[in-house]
Amino acid sequence: MTPWPSTSLRLRLLGLTAVGLALALLLAWFVLGGLFRDESMRQFRHGLEQQLDQLTARVEFDAQGQPTVDAASLSDPRWHKPYSGLYWQLNDADQGALLRSRSLWDTRLANAPDALGDATVHAHAGTGPQDAPLLVLERVVRSPDQPGTRWRLLVAADSRAVQDAVAQFRSVLAWSLAALLALLLAAAWAQVALGLAPLRALQRALAELQAGRSQRLQGPAPLEVQPLVDGFNTVLDSHAQLVQRARQQAGDLAHAVKTPLAVLSQAAEAALARQQRDPSQAGDTRLATLVLEQVAQARREVDWHLARARAAGGRGVPGQRVALAPVVRDLLRVMDKVHAARALALRCADIDVDLAFAGEAQDLQEILGNLLDNACKWARAAVSVAAQLASGAGPPVLVITVQDDGPGIAAQQRDAVLARGVRVDESVPGSGLGLAIVADRVAAYGGTLALESAPHGGLRVVVRLPAAV
Amino acid sequence: MRILLVEDETHLAAQLRQTLEEAGYVVDTAGNGRDAWQLGGEQTYDVVVLDLGLPVLDGLSVLKRWRSEGMVTPVLILTARDQWHEKVAGIDAGADDYLTKPFHTEELLARVRALIRRAQGLASPVLQCGAVSLDTRSNRVTRDGHPVAMTSHEYKVLAYLMHRPNTVVSRTELTEHIYAQDFDRDSNTIEVFVARLRKKLPPAMIETVRGMGYRLVAP
Repeated sequence: MTPWPSTSLRLRLLGLTAVGLALALLLAWFVLGGLFRDESMRQFRHGLEQQLDQLTARVEFDAQGQPTVDAASLSDPRWHKPYSGLYWQLNDADQGALLRSRSLWDTRLANAPDALGDATVHAHAGTGPQDAPLLVLERVVRSPDQPGTRWRLLVAADSRAVQDAVAQFRSVLAWSLAALLALLLAAAWAQVALGLAPLRALQRALAELQAGRSQRLQGPAPLEVQPLVDGFNTVLDSHAQLVQRARQQAGDLAHAVKTPLAVLSQAAEAALARQQRDPSQAGDTRLATLVLEQVAQARREVDWHLARARAAGGRGVPGQRVALAPVVRDLLRVMDKVHAARALALRCADIDVDLAFAGEAQDLQEILGNLLDNACKWARAAVSVAAQLASGAGPPVLVITVQDDGPGIAAQQRDAVLARGVRVDESVPGSGLGLAIVADRVAAYGGTLALESAPHGGLRVVVRLPAAV
Repeated sequence: MRILLVEDETHLAAQLRQTLEEAGYVVDTAGNGRDAWQLGGEQTYDVVVLDLGLPVLDGLSVLKRWRSEGMVTPVLILTARDQWHEKVAGIDAGADDYLTKPFHTEELLARVRALIRRAQGLASPVLQCGAVSLDTRSNRVTRDGHPVAMTSHEYKVLAYLMHRPNTVVSRTELTEHIYAQDFDRDSNTIEVFVARLRKKLPPAMIETVRGMGYRLVAP
């Protein structure tokens, strides 16, 4: 698995999504938590206001104008239970606590400095018995008979319950939102995976192309990527066309040049033959001999440079794959016909159907064709071909062996033979270029060519070329 | 032996024609694919030498048409195209041999001889029948080791028969393979040649098969 680079599409999409989602859910947590707290507090206060109203209704003034509270008539039992969490207190004008609920017991509610209006209810946060946080509501009460005297009526309730409920809610909300975040991230991951799936398909198509199993980037691509795929395929096509055109040109050049050369060499040979048959005939054989030599040289030069111009393949060109077995079969068919007069035994070990050359078909044919032709020319009775995949570390290598039972090549001549135009035996027809062309093509693919002695005499040629998987 | 030479380059065609005739063959020529196709279909030849780069109809197409029409005459492809995949294409189209230009004349003659022999299942360039031996390379006939003088037509008749030992060969067949296309053929001349051959060679060697033709038999 290749590590994700910093410009990974997946990372960008997911990262952005994750950050956005986290922020949104965090905001939601704050807002929802806040809303719940506010609502809870509002209801808490509302309830307390109702308690205040109820209490206000129980305030009566006696004949001296002193307020009394009929505590017994209060329905809520918490007023009577010490430190219950629900308290009331009636303050006089000097803010002294005149009357208290039983629940206050021996404590008093502190007075918050406040200039209360007549009709308003004010709320404070206070501290109650056992340092409990309280919500304190207070209002002014007056006797209708003595409107100038102001009494303050306070009710207070322990706000811990509400605070605990809010905390509980926030905690549950936090977990829920975290779970939601996880689910949403998973959904986002799935969505990104689905969205990027066509790119994986494209990756596979590219791998097929590089392995040589296809010649173009196959398959429909998403709308956004299609122009890129089309452009790439166009480049591949134009490369193939370029190669084709170059080969066509090379072939036409071959035809155009070689035919006049053939005419020249025929005429020179005929002249020499006539001279040989009838030495009395006056004639200068020097011209004919010169023509023959130069034609032979011209032919070698043309063959060499044409061969190089035709070499299309090489390392690093994508989409090259040639199955080995059919090429060997085709060439052996040709050897069979062309060398039929020599009645050679052409042996070919079973070549695995999957063995393939990571290169261009015509290059493989030139390499093997020249080697087999050579072997057939020199062999006494048998030529054999074998191929296998080399085992070991590194990229896969194809090892092809062509062996004949002819005279072989002496060790000291092996290097020389690979040079252009060097021929060991001039009596056997040929241009002397075959092995040189083979060596050149093999080198273009980064392969190796080795000349060895065959076990029972003769030459064994071992070619190593890149294999296609 | 009769050869069809298909080559559009006039100089080369003339040279090759001369070379082949000097070697004892009867040569018909064609300069384009259509003529070659027609000639090859209508006339009988022992070997066809075919150039691939032809006008009107290219060499490979001509070859493929011949083979699909059932013509089994051996074909030697002569061409400047020397890429192996082209050789494979040529052989697969039905050629029996492939020679690239430029070539040595001797090589061409040797290959033509080999094709003719191969077609008859003969392995050696020297044909033997009893005491008589015929060397196809030098066109010389010997009897018990002593050379036998022959005219070119006599040689052609003998060579044709010696390529097909113990086979009945009709006069018509002999005529077709000994004479060029436009020669005014008279079937009597064959009998004249055979009579002359019988004088020079062991008489029992060439047998007349009544109503059918001649047969070469080993004594």
